[in-house]
Amino acid sequence: MTPQLDEYVEAEIQRLLAETGSVAEQGITIARREHLIVLGGEVESAQRRDEICRQINQHFPDVEIACDIGIVRAQAPTEVEEIS
Amino acid sequence: MIRIAAVGDVHVDKDVVGRYRPALEQLPGVADALLIAGDLTRHGTVEEARCMAGEFGGLGVPVVVVLGNHDHQSDQQDAVTDVLRDAGLVVLEGEGTVLELNGHTLGIAGAKGFGGGFAGACASKFGEREMKNFVGTTEAIAERLGAALRGLDCDALVALTHYAPVPETLTGEPLEIYPFLGSYLLGQAIDSAPTALALHGHAHHGSERGRTPGGVPVRNVAHPVIKQAYNVYQLLTDEVDAGLVSI
Ligand SMILES: [Fe+2]
Ligand SMILES: [Fe+2]
Repeated sequence: MTPQLDEYVEAEIQRLLAETGSVAEQGITIARREHLIVLGGEVESAQRRDEICRQINQHFPDVEIACDIGIVRAQAPTEVEEIS
Repeated sequence: MIRIAAVGDVHVDKDVVGRYRPALEQLPGVADALLIAGDLTRHGTVEEARCMAGEFGGLGVPVVVVLGNHDHQSDQQDAVTDVLRDAGLVVLEGEGTVLELNGHTLGIAGAKGFGGGFAGACASKFGEREMKNFVGTTEAIAERLGAALRGLDCDALVALTHYAPVPETLTGEPLEIYPFLGSYLLGQAIDSAPTALALHGHAHHGSERGRTPGGVPVRNVAHPVIKQAYNVYQLLTDEVDAGLVSI
């Protein structure tokens, strides 16, 4: 049976991601679709992205996840902005 | 002319070490100083602070930082500060520093800041003790930031915070959490001095540009907002210097 993806599950996941030591992310967005949740936002490493999905799978084994979390690029800039 | 590189929310831990370094190695040719707007680590541990200091230390340009809320997570902010200072970083909390760059003086006053919200939807020092403490904390920090800004004698003055001084650079964040992302009191402190530029982070889903009610340009340099290792901002453009470097 598909679990109900209600607001309480969404809030619990949001807090899990912030308060779990191995994640500590406050900037992950959670969008509820009919049968799955879509995760968004950007983190600093691939390990962090994978750990987010691992934690949700572990705590909410019935919830299907689509992970659209990106890794923030860290290249040098090519432009300067003049402040006036 | 002074060029300032800036980024915030680098959230360094072991898994990030080495990611920024190639871009940082280019800094001496690109900017005169690097300012980092808080959330330097993931949980504010000493171990993470060492990773941060290794990644952002020894760059050949001065590095000036403020702490963010993540750097307070383990209640070790003093030890974190010590590690960063030992590595040569300047850590500001309600104080200022003046750097001599390119024959000009750059004054930087910094503070973590705190929440409370903005005109029309801000918290008040009223009711429960916890509520008064919340707003009182922001008031005290903003007061020190304003005093630090007004106390600096320099050619160009920059304010560095983690929390946002204006709501404009929060655009993209849910409205409901604005009071946890910044406070107008920080903007008021910034406007109490001849500030040329205000830099902040914290709002990962916010937007880059805004202005204070007093007209000071504000830039949200949170890493997920600028999407590169750092941004470069040029101040005192009209001043003529010898030996200009370009990116
Ligand atoms: Fe952050
Ligand atoms: Fe933050």
